[in-house]
Amino acid sequence: MAVDMLKPQFTGARVTRLEDARLLRGQARYLDDIHLPGMLEVAFVRSTRAAARITGIDVQEALRTPGVVAVLTHADLPWEIRNDGFGVTQPVLARDEVRFVGEPVAVVVADSRYAAEDGVERVKVSYDPLPPVLDMEQALADAPRRVHSQRANVFFHSEHTTEGFAEAFAQAPHHLQLTFRVHRQTGVSMETRGCAAMPDPASGRLTVYVSHQSPHGVRAQLARVLGIPENELRVIVPEVGGGFGIKAMFYPEYVVVTALARKLGKPVKWVSDRTECLLSDAHGRDSVHEVAVAFTEEGRIVAVRDRVLGDNGAYPFPGFPGAVGESNWATNMLPGPYKIPHISLTVDCVFSNKTPLGPYRGVGGPIGAQVQEGMVEAVARHLGKDAMEVRRVNLIQPEDFPYRTATGNVYDPGSYSESLEAALRLLDYEGFRRRQAQLRKQGRYLGFGVCVFVEPSAMAHSEAGSTPYEAAFIRMEPNGTVTAALGLGPTGQGHETTMAQIIADRLGVDVKDVVVLHGDTDSAPFGGGTGGSRSGTIGGGAAIRAGEQLRAKLVKLAAHLLEAAEEDIELADGQAFVAGVPARGIPVRELARIAYTDVNRLPADMPPGLEVVARYQPPAPATYSNGTHAAIVEVDIRTGLVRVLDYAAVNDCGRLINPLIVEGQIHGGVAQGIGSAFLEELRYDEHGQLLTTSLMDYLLPAATDVPRMRVQHLETPSPSLGGFKGMGEGSLIAAPAALANAVSDALAPFGVLVTELPIRPEQIVAWVQAAGQGA
Amino acid sequence: MSQAEARQTQRVVLQVNGQRHELDVEPRWLLADVLRHQLGLTATHVGCEQGVCGACTVLVDGKPERSCLMLAVQAEGCEVTTVEGLTPAAGLSPLQAAFQQHHALQCGFCTPGILVTMEALLRENPHPDEATVREALSGNVCRCTGYQFIVDAVLAAAKEGR
Ligand code: FES
Ligand code: FES
Repeated sequence: MAVDMLKPQFTGARVTRLEDARLLRGQARYLDDIHLPGMLEVAFVRSTRAAARITGIDVQEALRTPGVVAVLTHADLPWEIRNDGFGVTQPVLARDEVRFVGEPVAVVVADSRYAAEDGVERVKVSYDPLPPVLDMEQALADAPRRVHSQRANVFFHSEHTTEGFAEAFAQAPHHLQLTFRVHRQTGVSMETRGCAAMPDPASGRLTVYVSHQSPHGVRAQLARVLGIPENELRVIVPEVGGGFGIKAMFYPEYVVVTALARKLGKPVKWVSDRTECLLSDAHGRDSVHEVAVAFTEEGRIVAVRDRVLGDNGAYPFPGFPGAVGESNWATNMLPGPYKIPHISLTVDCVFSNKTPLGPYRGVGGPIGAQVQEGMVEAVARHLGKDAMEVRRVNLIQPEDFPYRTATGNVYDPGSYSESLEAALRLLDYEGFRRRQAQLRKQGRYLGFGVCVFVEPSAMAHSEAGSTPYEAAFIRMEPNGTVTAALGLGPTGQGHETTMAQIIADRLGVDVKDVVVLHGDTDSAPFGGGTGGSRSGTIGGGAAIRAGEQLRAKLVKLAAHLLEAAEEDIELADGQAFVAGVPARGIPVRELARIAYTDVNRLPADMPPGLEVVARYQPPAPATYSNGTHAAIVEVDIRTGLVRVLDYAAVNDCGRLINPLIVEGQIHGGVAQGIGSAFLEELRYDEHGQLLTTSLMDYLLPAATDVPRMRVQHLETPSPSLGGFKGMGEGSLIAAPAALANAVSDALAPFGVLVTELPIRPEQIVAWVQAAGQGA
Repeated sequence: MSQAEARQTQRVVLQVNGQRHELDVEPRWLLADVLRHQLGLTATHVGCEQGVCGACTVLVDGKPERSCLMLAVQAEGCEVTTVEGLTPAAGLSPLQAAFQQHHALQCGFCTPGILVTMEALLRENPHPDEATVREALSGNVCRCTGYQFIVDAVLAAAKEGR
């Protein structure tokens, strides 16, 4: 019916964002902007030891601190977060033992944040130190000890080997062994984490504000831990200043603040400071891949063995123990865009006395891509071939779709080869090779690196939980404007605009007449929230479906009033009219008025009102975006500094909802990739102290570190409604690998192949010197 | 400083966005906190309190300063301008409009600090080139945008004479 004939006006267009005005005018309300009369503020006493028994907590002096209202410990707030399946619970305030630096030990409640921090300084915690578990290899053998005495450090083990692997591996003429490693990094949303809870004495309900990616997820967890029925909890996510995965997790502080509000009967707020964030936000990455690759004379990769070890830190986040998420994604996507028939995988994840690991944009994708593309570079080098030739030999071709990988994924169609060729053209690969050769003669080292990526998106299971569907509620108001609500948790992705574009097209109204609500469990239908690049595809699908259902009501009413057949009704520019006879029409707002206030004119079988809720679950467990990133870098071999000179991202995320927003996502992901490749590392010392606790130590890319990027779109529609594919993570999956390969290429004369990220300048200098000495 | 002393307030007169405010503040209170929590000017954000991210940037006598590195009492006698003071009563300033047009913001948390910094740049140098914009921007961290569309917005605003 009409759906096929729809000519989308807004979907696919570079619509500027509806949320921008309030953000630009400084009128947006983030978590710390919430203030209520009588609101108390809290600060946490955090462990200063990686591993220790708590022998005493003296709160007396803290309690005498002016402004301090209460100091509470585990004895007062004995709640625990359970992580089913691993035999480990996490007390929200440490009980008897601390397991990482930064773990909450006590909480100080005061009339201001300043006073709360004064109190924190005066809480005396006595520790009896224990040997910390800091090395993942040693942790495997429970050395020096167990992080959780009741169970082994290895808490997750999996194996998967394709049939015939051993023969295929043995028979290949060439073999290489490589070890890849990515160190700890984290999302660093510019707005820190925080939450505020307030009892509503009138209804007896509790309202919890939290800077988060999944309002319903927080509600479910709070209800579970504190034993509060879900209908007595209202979770509101205000404006969120970035999430990148870290804000998809459920943290102990949220339980403490909510429990305090109930206990004290007052509004209570906690906002993390930056040091607390670096200590306690979910860390990401931190795994090692020992890889053996078997390949033919032409460079065809026939078999890959990967032994993975992941450090999870002290506790598993509920629903998403980070090391398992990392390793599973990395191994599951290990073949990437290449036809690798045989795979043998072993994964072990261990506990350690470090900050718990969780998701950071791309999760295991970046290390997976690094392994996949590092292998390609190594194979090319071994055979004396151009790495692009090796890629061409191995790439999945258009006729291969749907393609089943050796790890069991079924890829829907994509533009793998096309994206590679497009990226090479954008940066003039042939021309670069000539320029590179000339500059080398002058002692300048330029390199070209590529990553052809595949991004699984809109997954049935992700850090947004196991909610394979999303719901959209749409109401056309009596004046013809539209209010929609979704259970998504945007953190800057612009859903208020993209969802409005989709809905406006279905209803034939202006995008500015659609208000999209989110982040309030009282108004939004149950949803999984935002994570795993699911919102555009699954949320967008729900918006299409709900939009179509509401459209059907409008069409039915218009047909009745215009005495025409429903199939002949079109909706556009705020009018319902008979196809081909625009004069025979009625304004949509008039239809809305009639639907609510002139109901005698409705068809006999049509109930009053214009409201629908629809749910959408995509047909496949994931849809796969793809693309190619290519980078040109220059390495200064004396200082070890790397400059990114040029960058191209060719991206295929199916049908585009809004190219402007897609490009913004790509740019941001590439910048984070530059951070991942060259700057960002959470470093611990031998006692388990985190050394990078400020943004002076944990370096983020600045405007001068990021080059101008060239972006090109390809569009291979997905089988999902609307043809959308998720794309929030692909750029951070691809960029680190492309940059690592560019540095490898620049330093090829010194025999360097980068296998460890981030790359530090002193390493580069050392590699070059070592090569010089060897020569 | 003892805690009792810390809680002693003192009277300051602050001139913010053209308005005079007489306030009782603790000497240790950061300018950022006083703007946000005493004056309700919450457009100024706090991203690190370490002087690195630039989210807290305000103009002090026309120069970009980090309000997390300045005590409120130090701002006495200065003219402080926040994004609220750079925003017209209705609609958007030319620079703000360019930000919207060029999708120079995602989560928006860094945006006020960046707007303030770029306003100051364009006042001093109405026609900067890209390298100058990037240099001026390099003290403000944006984790979302990768900076490119911010640079585009500033260059476009400069071209249109703001
Ligand atoms: S909050 Fe002031 S520089 Fe980050
Ligand atoms: S827009 Fe999110 S930090 Fe800049």
